[in-house]
Amino acid sequence: MVRFTLSDIREIMNYKENIRCLSVIAHVDHGKSTLTDSLISKAGIISSAKAGEARFTDTRQDEQDRCITIKSTGVSLFYEVDDELVAQFSEAQAASGKNGFLINLIDSPGHVDFSSEVSAALRVTDGALVVVDCVEGVCVQTETVLRQALGERIKPVLMVNKMDRVFLELQLDPEEAYQSFARTIESVNVVIATYNDDALGDVAVYPQEGTVAFGSGLHGWGFTLGRFASLYAKKFGVAEKKMMKKLWGDSFFDPKTKKWRKVARSDKGKPLKRAFCQFVLDPIYKLVNAVMNNETAVMEKMFESLSIKLKGDEKDLLGKPLLKVVMRKFLPAAEALLEMIVLHLPSPVTAQKYRVETLYEGPLDDPCAIAIRDCDPEGPLMLYVSKMVPTSDKGRFYAFGRVFSGVCRTGQKVRIMGPEYVPGKKTDLFIKNIQRTVLMMGRSVDQIEDVPCGNTVGLVGIDQYLLKTGTITTEECAHNFKVMKFSVSPVVRVAVEPKNPSELPKLVEGLKRLSKSDPCVLCISDESTGEHIVAGAGELHLEICLKDLAEDHAGIEIVQSEPVVSYRETVTTNSTETCLSKSPNKHNRIWAEAEPMKVELCDDIENKVVTGRQDAKERARYLIDTYEWDATDAKKIWCFGPEGNGPNLCVDASRAVQYLNEIKDSVVAGFQLASADGVLCDENMRGVRMNITDANLHADTIHRGGGQIIPTSRRVFYACQLTAEPRLLEPVYLVDIQAPDVAIGGIYSTLTTRRGHVFAQDQRPGTPLYHIKAYLPVMESFGFTAALRSQTSGQAFPQCVFDHWQQLSGSPFDDGTSTAEVVAKTRARKGLKEGIPALGNFMDRM
Amino acid sequence: MIGLGLGDAKDITVKGLEAVRTCARVYLEAYTSVLGASKEELEAFYGVEVIVADRELVESGADDTLIEPAKEENIGFLVVGDPFGATTHTDLVVRARAAGVTVSVIHNASIMNAAGACGLQLYNFGLTVSVVFFTETWRPDSFYNKVKINAAAGLHTLCLLDIKMKEISDENLAKGRMIYDPPRFMTVNQCLSQFLEVEEKYGEGILTADTQVVALARVGQETQVIAAGSIAELLPLDFGPPLHSLVVVGETHFLEDEILAGLSQTAELKPLADGANDDVEAGSTADAIAVAADGAE
Repeated sequence: MVRFTLSDIREIMNYKENIRCLSVIAHVDHGKSTLTDSLISKAGIISSAKAGEARFTDTRQDEQDRCITIKSTGVSLFYEVDDELVAQFSEAQAASGKNGFLINLIDSPGHVDFSSEVSAALRVTDGALVVVDCVEGVCVQTETVLRQALGERIKPVLMVNKMDRVFLELQLDPEEAYQSFARTIESVNVVIATYNDDALGDVAVYPQEGTVAFGSGLHGWGFTLGRFASLYAKKFGVAEKKMMKKLWGDSFFDPKTKKWRKVARSDKGKPLKRAFCQFVLDPIYKLVNAVMNNETAVMEKMFESLSIKLKGDEKDLLGKPLLKVVMRKFLPAAEALLEMIVLHLPSPVTAQKYRVETLYEGPLDDPCAIAIRDCDPEGPLMLYVSKMVPTSDKGRFYAFGRVFSGVCRTGQKVRIMGPEYVPGKKTDLFIKNIQRTVLMMGRSVDQIEDVPCGNTVGLVGIDQYLLKTGTITTEECAHNFKVMKFSVSPVVRVAVEPKNPSELPKLVEGLKRLSKSDPCVLCISDESTGEHIVAGAGELHLEICLKDLAEDHAGIEIVQSEPVVSYRETVTTNSTETCLSKSPNKHNRIWAEAEPMKVELCDDIENKVVTGRQDAKERARYLIDTYEWDATDAKKIWCFGPEGNGPNLCVDASRAVQYLNEIKDSVVAGFQLASADGVLCDENMRGVRMNITDANLHADTIHRGGGQIIPTSRRVFYACQLTAEPRLLEPVYLVDIQAPDVAIGGIYSTLTTRRGHVFAQDQRPGTPLYHIKAYLPVMESFGFTAALRSQTSGQAFPQCVFDHWQQLSGSPFDDGTSTAEVVAKTRARKGLKEGIPALGNFMDRM
Repeated sequence: MIGLGLGDAKDITVKGLEAVRTCARVYLEAYTSVLGASKEELEAFYGVEVIVADRELVESGADDTLIEPAKEENIGFLVVGDPFGATTHTDLVVRARAAGVTVSVIHNASIMNAAGACGLQLYNFGLTVSVVFFTETWRPDSFYNKVKINAAAGLHTLCLLDIKMKEISDENLAKGRMIYDPPRFMTVNQCLSQFLEVEEKYGEGILTADTQVVALARVGQETQVIAAGSIAELLPLDFGPPLHSLVVVGETHFLEDEILAGLSQTAELKPLADGANDDVEAGSTADAIAVAADGAE
């Protein structure tokens, strides 16, 4: 039975101190969705018997079938908390004086291929529940999502999950278990410390402060030290907070002298048990053992002292099912999580104060920024749409986002601004009415009249005006919210075509919808070759996208090509000579040179540390200080490319050329073309800096328009690239594998045959598990997962995440090198002329 | 290379016509200007077939289509105005001579000298400027500085207004599509409003509402219109179909003053229809576009 009504939710929305927006994030298979179930069951949406199995937030059939989460799913939950908990509130938290809490929760996928879904979830939340499997520990994706969270200034709390495995599978003794938990928490804190943002304060997690919970999502139980502290506080006559501190770390209790000690020996030299083991783990172990060994007498005694009452059928249960019921009654997971969420995660009011800087593009003193900072319902509406959620109506989407200020109403007239919108201009701007506002409830939605700031919301009727994300506002001078950074990029691509050629229009329409429904997927339609490309983060991501495309978005049978990798073209030396190209009318001449850019600078550009939108002086300073750029050059960056933001730069290195600023636009356009389609095989460039060294232009504007200068600048850039030792870069995955020792041999042999190499291998103490990190070229990764599984009898499951670009060996001009081979293949696939065009096509002589 | 003059088919010189008739093939350069006559009218009058040459043919394909055949036989290259007038085909001459082809040039009237029709003395003209259509991001205004230099020397400035014959938009160019935009011609009115915008930017008093200008429309044709006045006076008037040109008046000789005074009969001109100034393809230019499109095929 649902324990709340829509009006409960709507009412509590006005009390912004009583709202928590959080994402559940973790490595794949660490139990996010399962854990989320216990929260949802507490709110009464699913029955407690089903919690842990239903995976309510895995709304898609394929999510249920594959047992992985693919899309992030939002659900809004309402809880009444005990007065006891309210009593622990700080002044700010207690401001509303209400016991009701609204929790806007988003369950996110753990597989690296779907990291962009995590980004979209994090953007609209203020806190993160980080789930870690206590046996596997911190894995690559745990680190990735934590880094993403901290980058968005999201405060984390930790759930050490799957504790049942410690008792039932590994059978560690309490001290070993403690050590294992401590190590896991320690490694989470190392990641937090690495990526911590000062504005967020210290967000490291500590069990003794209540920011770490332990438990088993599958069995539906969990606890924080607060739960045990309250049990023992009276007995020891200490305050709960003090008791919590004693229950973790090097804290030991001597039952003889009834004294607390800091070392594991009593003053008489006898060994002592750690308090955590003695007071927390021992009772759990005893209960587990009693139930699993079916010691009826012990059980009954314990049930009584822990006031666990079994009802009806439950009395007939034995073994694991009984353990589940008992533990759930003893230590309900939802209580522990709720306590942690309510007490330790920030409300929108608290969070938006420090998040506004990282969220908003405009000046921090304009009315919008101020309204966001104060989470002001009276301020202008500022809403960020972070993703599109398909509706039951095919082809239409809910725009899912968060209201940061103001109130979002059904029927309201709003400005819909896409990522290309610039204040004062009309590009990427629509002014429309919001048809309806809805509350996202996992697989269903509820209509709601209006939603005030601090909450997540779904909008109806906005989807056709936004591609994937955007800003919605009522304020005319509002700037955009910053675009989200994704930690994955679409490096694997396939070409698709309809099985029946007459269904091409359906495919084109389907591709549009697919592009909308996934934050990361890239759909490219090349009109000149008629080729339609779908690019994704990895094999799995692509597989899911194509399935969606065929079944939902286009509804037709699709034929797909072999997956191909996207490469990058780069240069490795300075151009051997200054290249010259003349315009078609021969009245204009442009001279330029190429030079390689540092890899770190490319990374900075991709991570938006250095951008075209940044203050030019600030950027110049950074380039001079960090990359030893010449001060004059650093101030004269014309543009980034391709698409105005890529990792290639066009720099005006000329001196006193007349009319140069009037051709800048055309040169920039030429640079965008050249950097998007390099000369080798029409792949994007990376790490190329083009310096315009000189130009000689016709005196009259009409003779040096775009038609003359765009092709000329493009030709000169190609000439520059050809004379600067061009090379290809291939994408490389970081592969993270957890596997038992027997599988190691198979892992190594699979990697070696695919040009991969292991660079780190360590054993998780106390387990037979090895943690292996390796680099693997994306080109070699197709079928890798399957090959690895067959080589290791299914014991190794890899996570591949794009890591870096690596130069392919050999010159593209020498026959037989892998570069030449890739260039030839790519040119053939794209229908380009055979062979790299000669320099004479681009370079003119005086 | 044969100049065709400014008006209609009959403006070709006798010498030019004789030359045309000796040619094995005749090309008409049709992208830098338009003649007040269609390709068919030219063919009917000259009695030879005329091939329309677009920008690609002249700039990229000249070697194959013009220069190589010219080694064997006479090739005619017709240019509206004068071959070395507003659009200089000097590069073609250089390339042809380098290939050992003899180039003879037959001159004709060009807007560069026909501007004298307004009565301002050609001796007193300074640097010629062109004014191009402003786009969202590309608003070249170097003409302002040139008018300023001329003004400082007391010279008049001839302004040639943008012609977009077979242009490919940047978007189509980026995608490598050879799709041509419809032809567009800048009107005096559009030019004047761009003047005022640039004046607002620099504020040096070179092109204010009071600046004296002469508007020239369809010079050399039967429907020629020439009107003088301040920018403010001319801005709302309709000068009819293209081509339009403009002169910014510098210091004047007393004779120039007299003739300008005679031209100030702006009352004969109708005011511009509402909105025609915003949309280049609408209203009065529609007829001309039909003509141009016909010529450019």
